[in-house]
Amino acid sequence: MQSRLFNQFILRRMAQERTRTLTTVVGIALGIAVVLAIQLTNASSVRGFETALTSVAGRTSIEIVGTGGIDETRLPDLGWLRAFGGMSPVIEGEMAIVGSGPDTPQQGSSTPSTRTERGFRAPRTEAVKVLGVDILQDLTLRDYALGEVQGGSTPAGSKPEGSMPEGSKPEGSQHEGSLTSQQFLELLTSPRAIVITEKLARRRGYALGDELQLMAGDRVSTFVVRGLLKDEGPAKVVDGSFVLMDIAAAQLAFDRLGRVDRLDVQLRGDGRAADEAAATAPGSAEIDAALAAISARLPAGLTAQRPSRRGEQVERMLAAFHLNLTALSWVALVVGLFLVYNTVTISVIARREEIGMLRALGVTRRQVLGLFLGEAAVLGLAGTLLGIGLGRVLADAAVGLTRSTVSTLYIATAASTPALAGWHIVLAFAIGLPLSLVAASLPSLEASRVPPTAAMRGSDRLESRVRLRAAVLVAPAMVLLAALALAQLGPVDGRPLFGYAASFATIIGASLLVPAFIFLLARSLAGPLRRLLGVEGLLAHANLAAAIPRLSISVAALAVSLSMMVAVAVMIGSFRDTVAYWVGQTLQADLFIGPGLQPTVGSEQTLSAPVIEAVEAHPGVEAVDSFRNIDLVYNGNLVVLGAGNFDLVLSHGSLLFKAPADGREALRRAIGTESVVVSEAFANKYGTRPGDTLTLQTPQGPRPFAVVAVYYDYAVDRGVIVMDRGTFRRYFGDLTPTGLAAYLKPGFEPERVRAEVLASLDEGHRAFIYTNRDLRAEVLRIFDSTFAITYALEIVAIVVAMLGVGATLLTLVLERQRDLSMLRLIGAARRQVQRVIVIEAALIGAASQAIGLVVGLALSVLLVYVINVQSFGWTIQFRVPVTFLAQVSIAVIVATAVAGIYPARRATRLVVERDE
Amino acid sequence: MGMPLLSATDLTKTYTGGTTTVRALDGVSFTLEAGDFVALMGPSGCGKSTLLHLCGAMDRPTSGRVVLEGRHLAELTDDELTKLRRDRIGFVFQFFNLLPTLTLGDNIALPCLLGGMATAEAEARAARLAERVGIGHRLRHYPQEVSGGEMQRAAIARALVHEPALLVADEPTGNLDSETGARVLALLAELNREMGITILLATHAQEVAAASGRVMRMKDGRFASAESAPSAPGAIALPLPDANAVPAV
Repeated sequence: MQSRLFNQFILRRMAQERTRTLTTVVGIALGIAVVLAIQLTNASSVRGFETALTSVAGRTSIEIVGTGGIDETRLPDLGWLRAFGGMSPVIEGEMAIVGSGPDTPQQGSSTPSTRTERGFRAPRTEAVKVLGVDILQDLTLRDYALGEVQGGSTPAGSKPEGSMPEGSKPEGSQHEGSLTSQQFLELLTSPRAIVITEKLARRRGYALGDELQLMAGDRVSTFVVRGLLKDEGPAKVVDGSFVLMDIAAAQLAFDRLGRVDRLDVQLRGDGRAADEAAATAPGSAEIDAALAAISARLPAGLTAQRPSRRGEQVERMLAAFHLNLTALSWVALVVGLFLVYNTVTISVIARREEIGMLRALGVTRRQVLGLFLGEAAVLGLAGTLLGIGLGRVLADAAVGLTRSTVSTLYIATAASTPALAGWHIVLAFAIGLPLSLVAASLPSLEASRVPPTAAMRGSDRLESRVRLRAAVLVAPAMVLLAALALAQLGPVDGRPLFGYAASFATIIGASLLVPAFIFLLARSLAGPLRRLLGVEGLLAHANLAAAIPRLSISVAALAVSLSMMVAVAVMIGSFRDTVAYWVGQTLQADLFIGPGLQPTVGSEQTLSAPVIEAVEAHPGVEAVDSFRNIDLVYNGNLVVLGAGNFDLVLSHGSLLFKAPADGREALRRAIGTESVVVSEAFANKYGTRPGDTLTLQTPQGPRPFAVVAVYYDYAVDRGVIVMDRGTFRRYFGDLTPTGLAAYLKPGFEPERVRAEVLASLDEGHRAFIYTNRDLRAEVLRIFDSTFAITYALEIVAIVVAMLGVGATLLTLVLERQRDLSMLRLIGAARRQVQRVIVIEAALIGAASQAIGLVVGLALSVLLVYVINVQSFGWTIQFRVPVTFLAQVSIAVIVATAVAGIYPARRATRLVVERDE
Repeated sequence: MGMPLLSATDLTKTYTGGTTTVRALDGVSFTLEAGDFVALMGPSGCGKSTLLHLCGAMDRPTSGRVVLEGRHLAELTDDELTKLRRDRIGFVFQFFNLLPTLTLGDNIALPCLLGGMATAEAEARAARLAERVGIGHRLRHYPQEVSGGEMQRAAIARALVHEPALLVADEPTGNLDSETGARVLALLAELNREMGITILLATHAQEVAAASGRVMRMKDGRFASAESAPSAPGAIALPLPDANAVPAV
């Protein structure tokens, strides 16, 4: 009975009201899709790192690491580690394949890669993960499934003339199967020998014996493909972008002579065949015990950890960025739920008489409730299904928008969006369905309370006018006070959870104030609207004033998404101004020189001597500051440790100091002593002040350093510690620099010096040189691309809210069908009625935007002074982008007016009562 | 006598819903002279509301023609029909159909405002008519703040504010108690008599019909009979014995 009633009463009507049903389904779908897309996007940035980590880790249970790597001379002292199991020293990093593949004739040139003016943006540059190992030791930890190999007798590089078509085998090539460790070793003996994956070879058209140019830092070297790896073990790194070479070759290529990055240890007892090992992998307790035992014996400066630790560190580093995106993605969903409320409300209003009739015929209240909740469930289900499909599409767009941010500021990321996992689908239904039901609960309850007498036409339809009672202000006032209190609380585990709670409370409090606000607005606008817009203004105003309770929901929904837009615009505008000011103040050098390959976490890129010499040798260069950055684990988090020449910073550069007042004097005192300056982000994150002492992990063990100053920095949110180069050298050795800043003599054109330095480099060296002006522009370009995703999310939320306004107007139009018909009967022209509705739409837009501006400014204060400080630790100068906000306001009013066009058309239908 | 104010010739109106067709009007013809007060009577579903809609330019007939003041309604565009309703016809409904969000004053002035009349003039007219129908003191009240009788008086004032040629009333007393209904009816008769307004009224209340100058009975979409009231149009006596005793408030 109930299902038949549902079919006849709800489903049939939904099919008839196609526009409304579709709008709602699309609204929910967009909300769900955005949430899923952001989940996938966040996963994609961590996944790239983690899949690389786990596939490279192999059977490694414990790794030994040290700040800046491990000095090779210490390895013999670690022989006791063999008691725990097999071990293998490792060099791991990133290189770029430069130039096109050997058999890509479209290049039309005998030289496969031509250096661009900038120095490294050659065609088809692709990053690859490079692992340098001592293959004999490493075979116990990692499985390399060699496919094709080049015969050991074939000298490296002696490939046949011309390039080989895919699939053909060069002389001496053989299939693995019987390859011994010894033969594998011989394969890699040459410092130019590499093994790549079959996938990579296929993708770029390489065959055995082909030469391959790889760039590490600023150095381009030529390697020869000696073997191809099947898609197993470390070769499974994303898209097969993996290169294996001998550890000595890797040290040379990465300029890490005398150092290894880490020592991988496989606990004994799991060193049998690979499949067996999986079954007998050491348990967590075993690893913990071994970790404790190893840590106790490790010399100062070295740390033992699980390989997954690095993944956790990266995840933590990205947490703030991800949390911000997740919070934003929920806005679209919340706005989508307002649509469900709207639609079910329309359904209930339009069918009051029918509900009354059903009640008169004996349908119970509970059944009526069930019917309308069922409608919401159908909408939620359809929206969720569509949202899952749409989520995948949006995720690709979102990954595209965030990839450059993540890889520029944090880590090299996966090239593709991860597939939807089962739990994503569960998540979609877990939020889509229940929330749709919650959104529909109020109107459904309203439906269940419709009395049987409503069946009689017009018996209860006279609306009462809305009055404002002071009591309705109590709840919002209390919520807003709570928001104020929450904003005062500190972060939880480095996350601004109370800050988000304060924002949420502000939004709720403001939404509760919406009816009162509209009421006051309506009262003050009555006269002006009538004077300005004539009888249509009078009618539009009267209609809106009477519908305040209904309208409040839509206005609140639109106002919420607009307020987020305003808040984000103010935050980004302020941030951008601050960064521009900071860049202007601190970037003083005339040229900035970096390696051709950009460094990311876990992949340092350095400058080599020829490049440094070329810069220093130029007659126009007055002074060169070299700096070196390394990743340092501080309190379990990754921070950047930098070394620079403080003397030069004092004479030529300019840091903006936050504390103490005389930062330059503090910097002067830091030269030659165990002192550091820290960035503001670091100071905020770890509560550090000048005068504090930091204990840093140096190769000689933990050492105390005095903090002498805090400076402003907007480049690295995980925090930077900087020490003078002399101090750095004492503790971390004489590491090659990661960047140079050159100051020119008066009269020398930076552009010309840059071109001359680049021209003086040989084919094997590629530096990236920015002039001061270029770098400032680049900083702001990176800044803008970082926030592209933010605007994209905002726009989705606003589109959904606009759908909501359209739907609400449709509600109001249906609700007032009789009144509107009556207007037409007493002589209102079609166009007059339409104008009334469009004016109403524009008024809704204007009211929403007015509220959005006020609430948005409040939220932006929270974003700038609470959330941003707690998640990134940056001081931002508060600025209001007045012009932008004015433009947005006009756009919103126009857009809502447009959203009113369809309801306006519906409004002019002349409904004449049929003969009684 | 010259051209009639309204003539309807062979009007039919059918409604089609799914597979069934309902013939609401089935070849109806009649004329209205200026100053007439005609009551359409008949049971529910007899077609009287449909006839009112066609005569009031609210709807178009399936066949036949309606001529109002010499104009063939079938030849007018939607906009011209709207203008005709705004300028030449006034409507009174059973459920008053005042806009709940406007004051009685604004409700009454609405047709003039929609026609583009200056606000001050429209308001002055509304005030005069409100005074005339006895609700001059209620101009600033909202519909839900006044009684049913007062709402219907306001509706009548709204129907007359633009000085129409024809007043169409559909069950104007159907939603009022008998005493209030009688007063409203008295007011209509008075307006017909004193201002010469032509009234076409649908009702199924005998006493309402009795107040009119002519009663036309309908059944199954046709006229069953036509009868004249005792007095000539414009000079009818109020039919209810105690009608004059009721103060016109």
